Amino acid sequence: MTGPRRLGLVAAGATLLAAAPISSIFDTWKWLMMCLLVVGLIAGAAFAARSLRFPTWAQAASMIVVLLLMLTWIFPSGHEFLIPTPSTFGHFADLFTQAGQDTRSYAVPVPDRDGLLFVTVLGIGSVAIAVDLLTVVVRRPALAGLPMLAIYSVPVAVYIDSVPVLPFIIGAVGFLWLLVSDNIDRVRRFGRRFTGDGRDVDVWEPSPLAAAGRRLGVVGVAAAVLLPLAVPTITGGLLSRLTQTGTGIGNGTGTGTGGGRINLFASLSGNLSQSETVELVRLTTNETTPFYLRFGVADQLTNVGFGSRSPSGSSVAAGMPDPRTGNAGGSYQEFTADVKVSDRLNQGMLPIYQNTVSVDGIQRGWFYDNNQQVVYSNRNSTKELEYKFTYVRARYTPAELRQAEPLAPDDPIVRLNTAHPDDPTVDALVARLIAGKTTEYDKIRALYDYFSSKNGFTYSLSTQTATNSSEIAAFLKNKVGYCQQYAAALAWMAREAGLPARVAFGFTRGDSREGNTYVITNKNAHAWTEVYLRGFGWIPFDATPSAGVRGAARSDWAPDTELPAPTTSSSTATAAPGAEASGPAANVERPDRPDLNEPGLAGSTTTGETSNLGTTLLIVALVALFLALLLVPALRRVLLRRHRYAATVPRVTSLTEAQAGRPDVVVTAETTKARQDAHAAWDELLDTMVDFRVPLDPSETPRVTAQRLIKDAVLVDQSAAGATLLGTAEERARYARKPLQGGELTAALTQVRRGLARSATRRTRLTAAILPPSVLLRWRVALAESSTKLLGAGSRFRDVLSRFSPRRLLTHRSR
Amino acid sequence: MTTPTWDEPGGPLPSEDFRAATTAIMANIEQVIEGKSATVRLALAVLLAEGHLLIEDVPGVGKTKLAKALARSIDCSVRRIQFTPDLLPSDVTGVSVYNQETRDFEFKPGAVFANLVVGDEINRASPKTQSALLECMEERQVTVDGTTYELQSPFMVIATQNPIEMEGTYPLPEAQRDRFTARIAMGYPDPRAELAMLGGHGAHDPLSDLRAVADAGLVRRLIATVRDVHAADAVQQYAIALVTATREAPEIRLGASPRSTLQLLRTAKAFAALEGRDYVLPDDLQALAVPVLAHRLIPTADAQLNRRTTDAIVAEIVHRLPLPHDRNRSPYDTRNTGGAQQQYEPRGR
Repeated sequence: MTGPRRLGLVAAGATLLAAAPISSIFDTWKWLMMCLLVVGLIAGAAFAARSLRFPTWAQAASMIVVLLLMLTWIFPSGHEFLIPTPSTFGHFADLFTQAGQDTRSYAVPVPDRDGLLFVTVLGIGSVAIAVDLLTVVVRRPALAGLPMLAIYSVPVAVYIDSVPVLPFIIGAVGFLWLLVSDNIDRVRRFGRRFTGDGRDVDVWEPSPLAAAGRRLGVVGVAAAVLLPLAVPTITGGLLSRLTQTGTGIGNGTGTGTGGGRINLFASLSGNLSQSETVELVRLTTNETTPFYLRFGVADQLTNVGFGSRSPSGSSVAAGMPDPRTGNAGGSYQEFTADVKVSDRLNQGMLPIYQNTVSVDGIQRGWFYDNNQQVVYSNRNSTKELEYKFTYVRARYTPAELRQAEPLAPDDPIVRLNTAHPDDPTVDALVARLIAGKTTEYDKIRALYDYFSSKNGFTYSLSTQTATNSSEIAAFLKNKVGYCQQYAAALAWMAREAGLPARVAFGFTRGDSREGNTYVITNKNAHAWTEVYLRGFGWIPFDATPSAGVRGAARSDWAPDTELPAPTTSSSTATAAPGAEASGPAANVERPDRPDLNEPGLAGSTTTGETSNLGTTLLIVALVALFLALLLVPALRRVLLRRHRYAATVPRVTSLTEAQAGRPDVVVTAETTKARQDAHAAWDELLDTMVDFRVPLDPSETPRVTAQRLIKDAVLVDQSAAGATLLGTAEERARYARKPLQGGELTAALTQVRRGLARSATRRTRLTAAILPPSVLLRWRVALAESSTKLLGAGSRFRDVLSRFSPRRLLTHRSR
Repeated sequence: MTTPTWDEPGGPLPSEDFRAATTAIMANIEQVIEGKSATVRLALAVLLAEGHLLIEDVPGVGKTKLAKALARSIDCSVRRIQFTPDLLPSDVTGVSVYNQETRDFEFKPGAVFANLVVGDEINRASPKTQSALLECMEERQVTVDGTTYELQSPFMVIATQNPIEMEGTYPLPEAQRDRFTARIAMGYPDPRAELAMLGGHGAHDPLSDLRAVADAGLVRRLIATVRDVHAADAVQQYAIALVTATREAPEIRLGASPRSTLQLLRTAKAFAALEGRDYVLPDDLQALAVPVLAHRLIPTADAQLNRRTTDAIVAEIVHRLPLPHDRNRSPYDTRNTGGAQQQYEPRGR
């Protein structure tokens, strides 16, 4: 098989490997079957085209045609036979739209939806064509990594917090395979491999010339892995981890979302951020001031944020509980509502009001979860559903709610709905807010009131989705967010205060109203908090500023925190349930609020300041550390000089005469010391020369070095004499029987240094003082030596391994 | 009184006496050879290193004059051999002749039986005659008709040769060249020295005025002093490294012999002593490497084609070979622990 055709097949294989990240998106492996088929046939088409020696454009065209035919075959519109017709492309466009909707409404892993499968197959097929062309035609396999990386960017975009690493490794292996194959092909075209030792080398045998490449590769990979760890990023960087005060950050594994079910947070933000406004639900009720429609709750709070438990319950037909029985207080009124769902709302959860007691007009297969108070179905969809339900609207006064007793700690509701991550900031905030509050209701009111613009909270849609607990904590710090952050934050804080709380999802009352009919669009999607009060059940609290939410409603147990006076609350909150309920009750709340707001404001600003201060301090410390590190070589040099000067200080020593007769090398304590002194002085002189950029020559004798130094650096008088003295001392220490004793070596060194500094340029002097080349050189040499040693050990290890390589047993391949 | 053998040179001299004696000899020679103190010093160093000297240069630069001046300065037996193509080995070594009176063979000593033997134009004799010097130069003895005769001490052969003239000359065989400790070139005198020469030599030959300033006994003691000069381990290693480098240099077909290592170190000792030191420096070896090693080497055909003289090759080796250290390696020492071997990777062998 010739090079290009073989490379084409490798490119197809690499593309399939690079498609591995898609596995984290889909629930099943159907996509893989399709991709295998499509990529395989594309590779086959390219192979055939190359075998028939088609020109390049024809190769590309054949691959595109095959992709188109396969898409038509796998996703037929029903009006064509294999050959795409205009209706096929219309169908493709529909699939695209469907995929767009699915991405908004489904959480990963998604089920096998036709639209998503279509987009996947089309994408992988296009990548396969691009990789093939880049590798085989353009011969730039490195560029082929870009389309492969595009595949990986899909899970990166979908998973907000963490992305599985294994698929990336598989994809990277595919890319490396492609690169290796291409290079082997390149080398083969040389004919024989040149290795430098004059021997024919097998293709797979590492060439001695490749050592530099391997070294570069290892350094590159190490840098690529280590550098990002240090660079600050939004969440994962080492620096940002250090600067963040919270300890509750971590990568939990449980997502809390069941397979194939809607991620409520993703669906909500998808609805709100959608550019077009789509009518979802048309609701007619005989209640004058209805509250929010709800269809789902998120009641699990872990480190990765709020998630939903899978609902479980009995069939709706079996009946639903009546809230009026067994509740401690509140007034109840029964209403009915007719709902007409448009074809754009396609989910397995039924939008109903809280405390619905019966639903008519829905098929079997809808179930009611008494705990979550949601009607759900695993099979049916709300698409174009029309139904009627009867519900009970409960109204409570704050005074009634205040009578709610705390729940027992082992109550299942407490157990299930108060778990929360640890975060000292949130802890402190909650403790401050609920200080002095005795009843459960007062506690939740204190927390609820905290989320007002007086405390700096601003509504904005353009923020990150708050699914991660650290992002909720960040919201409490930044105070910019939208309903899901408000709802999640209040729920967390309520849980922190020991109150069972969860996030409810649904719709507000809608923008427009035609008589008793409310038109609810995707812009009305909303999330709010529900808190469980003993004897009353789940009570909704909507902390989101009503200004930011279309069709917002308030209740008198949770009035709008933005309103200045509770006396007007009854008039402004006419739309709210219980608006006609007692104003005085709200009046009671009033004195608390300024008290609550002030410390909250002060508290939050101080935490912000301290964290800012901490960041500044950290930056200053890092800069100082950096400067200190810069000064390390200079310090090392100074210490070294000190040490050597100390060694060369002349001391009064008695000159011991060599014994008469045949004198040999004199070895006494004094001479040994004198030798060491001379060596230390000489080392110092060499270092000084290196510092001042006077070249050294290993073949020079000390005498010649000293002479050259005098000549090159234009040393005069004392410094010249010093250099000569140092040279003589070293020479005698090395070669003579008796070393030079009593020489003023320290003084000579100082003189030489001074002379060198006099003749050097300013820049050289500065370098010598701050970044002494001698120290840097020494370190570099040490580093090089240790790395050489390491490489040597590595190659020995490889030799040992190659002894066990089965490839050795193959006969030598002839080329 | 028995003739002192080579191994009993007498006691070493104190450094002052040594300095006085050597300075006197050198000053004496420089009366004849002006402006060549380095050459003179080298010649004297060879004498004190118990070696033999080969003076090689173009005609008329004073080769013979140097040899004669050195011989004259020392009060000892001097013999001169004019090497001609018809010279016979027996003329050099001596011959046994039949004495009719004693009715026995009697040994007539040849020209080598002297302290200083000046061999002029040595490459004009046939190799057969040149080879007559082999034994006496190395072993300081002459064997004729199975009888071995010891030569006197000190014994030194000073030969001159002309490298340019090829007609009627026989290049010295390698074995012969290797026996010469050093080959020196005279070089042209500088203009000032030449002017002084014109003034002096115009009137009379200064050689005839030369008085001996030393005798054989003094020279023996000088030699003993030189033997006492200290050569540190590092210096000895350096000498070996230098010689090894010539053996491994790619441009050289035949490197220096172990004998040359010995002679290099001996000459270096003499050189150091002449400078008033009692220890050898690598500087001495560097200064002596070309005169002591270059004439023994045979360059490859490539090097000859490139007009690379052995002098230049040795000078380059000296320039490139790093010094050995007798202590820990300096960080600026970029060579590997393998030392000199790394510098000259054997190629093409």
